[in-house]
Amino acid sequence: MAKIGLFLARRLVKAAIILFFIVLINFALIRAAPGDPASVMAGEAGASDERYVELLRQRFGLDEPLHTQMFIYVTSVFQGDLGYSYRQGRNVSALILERLPATLLLTVTAFVFALAMGVLLGTLAAMKVGRWADTAITTLALISYATPLFWLGLMLILLFSVQLGWLPSFGFESVGAGFTGIDRMLDVAAHMVLPVLTLGLFYMAVYTRLTRSSILEIHDMDFVKTARSKGVTEGKVMVFHVLRNAILPVITFAGFQAGHLIGGSILVETVFAWPGIGRLAFNALLQRDYQVLLGVFVVTSILVLLFNIITDLLYTIVDPRIEVE
Amino acid sequence: MKTVSVDSVSYQLKGSNWWARATAACLLALGSGALFSTSAVADEPQHGGTLNVILDPEPPMLILGINQQAPTQLVAGKMYESLLRYDFELEPMPSLASEWEISDDGLTYTFHLQEGVTWHDGEPFTSHDVVFTATEFLPETHPRASSNFRRLESVTAPDDHTVVFQLDEAYPAFILAFEVASFPIMPAHIYEGTDFTDNEMNDHPIGTGPFKFERWSRGDYVQLTAYEDYWQDGKPYLDQIYFRLIPDAASRALALETQQVDISSFNNIEPFDVPRLEQLPHLEVITEGYEIAAPLSWIEINHRVEPLDDPRFRQAMMYALDREFIRDNIFMGLGRVPTGPINTVTIEYTDEVHIYEHDPDRAMELMDEMGLEPDGNGVRAEVELLPLPYGETFIRLAEYTREALGQVGIRVRMRSTDSAGWAQRVADWEYELTNNFVYQYGHPALGVSRTYICDNIRQGVLFSNTMGYCNEEVDDLFARAAVENDPDERAALYAKVQQILVEELPVIWLLEMEFPTIVNTRVRNATTTAIGVADTFADTWIEQ
Amino acid sequence: MSRDFWRAFANNYGAVIGLALLLAVVLMAAFADVIYPRSPWSMVTTPFQPPLSDDVLLGSDTLGRDIAAGIVHGSRVSLLIGLTSSAVALFIGVTLGALAGYFGGWVDDAIMRFTELFQTIPNFVLAVVLVAIFTPSIGSLVAAIAIVSWPPLARLARGEFLSLRSREFVLAAVTTGQSTTRIILREILPNSLSPIIVAASLTVATAILLESALSFLGLGDPNMMSWGYMIGASRTVIRQAWWMSFFPGIAILITVLAINLVGEGLNDALNPKLARKGRGR
Repeated sequence: MAKIGLFLARRLVKAAIILFFIVLINFALIRAAPGDPASVMAGEAGASDERYVELLRQRFGLDEPLHTQMFIYVTSVFQGDLGYSYRQGRNVSALILERLPATLLLTVTAFVFALAMGVLLGTLAAMKVGRWADTAITTLALISYATPLFWLGLMLILLFSVQLGWLPSFGFESVGAGFTGIDRMLDVAAHMVLPVLTLGLFYMAVYTRLTRSSILEIHDMDFVKTARSKGVTEGKVMVFHVLRNAILPVITFAGFQAGHLIGGSILVETVFAWPGIGRLAFNALLQRDYQVLLGVFVVTSILVLLFNIITDLLYTIVDPRIEVE
Repeated sequence: MKTVSVDSVSYQLKGSNWWARATAACLLALGSGALFSTSAVADEPQHGGTLNVILDPEPPMLILGINQQAPTQLVAGKMYESLLRYDFELEPMPSLASEWEISDDGLTYTFHLQEGVTWHDGEPFTSHDVVFTATEFLPETHPRASSNFRRLESVTAPDDHTVVFQLDEAYPAFILAFEVASFPIMPAHIYEGTDFTDNEMNDHPIGTGPFKFERWSRGDYVQLTAYEDYWQDGKPYLDQIYFRLIPDAASRALALETQQVDISSFNNIEPFDVPRLEQLPHLEVITEGYEIAAPLSWIEINHRVEPLDDPRFRQAMMYALDREFIRDNIFMGLGRVPTGPINTVTIEYTDEVHIYEHDPDRAMELMDEMGLEPDGNGVRAEVELLPLPYGETFIRLAEYTREALGQVGIRVRMRSTDSAGWAQRVADWEYELTNNFVYQYGHPALGVSRTYICDNIRQGVLFSNTMGYCNEEVDDLFARAAVENDPDERAALYAKVQQILVEELPVIWLLEMEFPTIVNTRVRNATTTAIGVADTFADTWIEQ
Repeated sequence: MSRDFWRAFANNYGAVIGLALLLAVVLMAAFADVIYPRSPWSMVTTPFQPPLSDDVLLGSDTLGRDIAAGIVHGSRVSLLIGLTSSAVALFIGVTLGALAGYFGGWVDDAIMRFTELFQTIPNFVLAVVLVAIFTPSIGSLVAAIAIVSWPPLARLARGEFLSLRSREFVLAAVTTGQSTTRIILREILPNSLSPIIVAASLTVATAILLESALSFLGLGDPNMMSWGYMIGASRTVIRQAWWMSFFPGIAILITVLAINLVGEGLNDALNPKLARKGRGR
């Protein structure tokens, strides 16, 4: 246990350093963009006035020298304060926390769906290697892997909402319907089907291929042959020997993809009007709401770092031979 | 009637709209009051029901005194009120002021306030709130306050229910400055002596309007409920309103179609979708209710760049563009082809100006005259166009412009930006051509002259004279017209300035934009004034 | 390339089909001006013509532009951006990976931390920010896509270099006093090339997907017709005119699929031992 504690401590320090640089890089990047929030607000108000814009700049703290702004921002982030969105008149942390659950719900569900289906289909394909089931699954995976997310989303809406009318095409739930308890859960679930499918299919394809190939590789290794020769049934061999080892590369890869998944949610959230942080970030970018955009970067980066640590820990559980360093 | 000439052009294309407008105008003329929508006039209002309204994009806040973007207005217009409202002909109607007088010299505006009005927290509304708003709140927070109130000498409150605005110069446009987004009355008891923009009550708007704030689930919806002590007895009719955030245009159209929402406004629905939705039996399309905004869309031209500084080149571009094609195929018939700088529905419009037809040959002649001969590729000049990053329609418009100008030998390069980059470039004059549309606020002194006078060439300020066009005669005419108290004199001055501008084309006017308000037919009285769905909804009701 | 390689490649049906499809796309891009001499932006017919109309095979869009012309010309943008951004990503990735793997120690540490940094920031978000900041154009798209695509290539190159670094032939080169640059370029790089080629081919596929996603969000080069742009532009009319977004989507799908198939074929043929391992990307 102490070992795990030490491992965690080291990983956390490393994560903090990475985070520091991420904040720094992104701050510089975002501020390199032309236009500032004051000019956007003036543009949207349909009228403008120097004094008004100047006042806005002062209020947003944009009249300070850049390095001062950066110093203030970086120190406050490490004190847990993501700043204040003057544009929306609210704390950035509050804004993000409000949106985070929707994004997490979407991405985690899509991830679990992708992983479960991917491992299942991959295993199936590997067991029937060369036969029609394998061909069908491999083809499905190849096609899913090559389909643009946003287009898939549109086509799913066209089919399931417009043509068939089975599922709602956008939103998080039926607003104003007054559902509670189980009804509300079902309602949200119905709204989730299409976004989760859209986001999940691509990763399902990735995991299917990975699982299949890594099973095939391990299938003929000595320790599996030994187990088989000992008379262990094929099903048990599959689950306890093959799958257990085959799943390792899948986990590694999944860890790396946490960031991708969150990036993909920008597109999915746009297509399905999902009230998550992906859309928050995109709007913040267009409106130059610096603090919010930086906040989203920080939060998503923390999520990815956490996810990586978790996958490393999982590794040790799945494969006890690997000790935490 | 002054709108006839242009309306008759659009008549063939969209007869139903024209008839709706004509009917509305006649009813108004008959003095039947303001309480009708285009379809229902006679029915008895019914109480109850929930209204669902599309809201996009999400407003940054709901305090109308601090933020006046269209989405903010849409929601906050139900909670806040001003002294006046305006009918479709821009005639003032009572709101928080029950009566008002303007002295003959045009210098004194006296408003008598409604009795028994309370704020949503129960505090009484008095003339003090009006004075506070005009003298303290808005000057600090409102981008148009300094120009609207420039000629204001004093604001006084002789008693709790009277307010007197004293001007130092006659300013006939002033009566139009009391629309709710220009002059939302803010509660003095909450804001007085605080930092207005950092007040803790900014999360919870307090107004006098028929609906009060209930909750705002960010990214999802805003909910308002009926204010039980509203000063107009028996109103509002609705129990509550949900403003639903739907960021995707296609999803918004679908929501109207499936009756998940009842109302869309402004550019919520892409023009392509409007004809299709109009066909559906449960939806109707209303184009009134934007007379205060009266948006005029144009190609903005940087006069500091050659050959754009030459009026002949600007005229050539005007002749090269088929503005009817733009209206019919890009804006899907929504809008009117403008004749000049003043929108048909704005006060002081004249049609006695040179009319530009679509004439590519004329365009090429003009460029020949300038000595711009085509090179081997047929290119006479090259310009850069910055498309307006406010949605698909404007991108299509830019693409059309590129093709149409290409036809006469003007090669157009497009450079895309997001809204922040666009605002910065245009304000700082770092562009050659761009699309823009500007609100007129009912009167040329409020929303037209600002983009053409030399005085208003101010770097870094959007919606100023960013073109850098300067003609002292134009300045003089606008200045004299603004303070001219005699209606005929004023009309003559404004007619003259319109003729000069049409001749010199500081910008290329493309379209008097009409926004479609799409309403479920079960909803009545969704649009009753010149600010349309941004009004209070006190009279709006739902057929049960 | 040896005969074995071609035999292995030709035995893989998928790879052959992929190669054929890819060839078709390349030909389409090369002869776009011959197939559709007019600019894909020109408004040639009535708007909203459904597919199989008289003059437009795949229908027309909201301004009366020919969808088929858009698809043919759009292949140029997809291939151009896919290839150049992958080349840039490959250059950055292999350079950094090679340095890290060859020198090890603190160089390796620094470079790997730097790589991790870029893998931690959600890559699509970063690409969106980069393109938006440097205003959408071919250049900024290529740069943004390259910047988010190099980290996996760097890791791969590092791994290869790390393992080859201690092989006899490299050690021999070191003892004979060859220069470091020469060892890296002449000795190690050629031997680590095959997995890198496979990974690079898959990077091209991802780059094309990224480009289409950026264009879909309105962040494409406004002067070039691209498939993602076509879908984004017709998204709002999807209910009236499915063909406007359907066909460009199919074009992306086929191109990306073709590249993936070819990539897998290369993988099987170049790394027979690892055949069918199908690396993640």
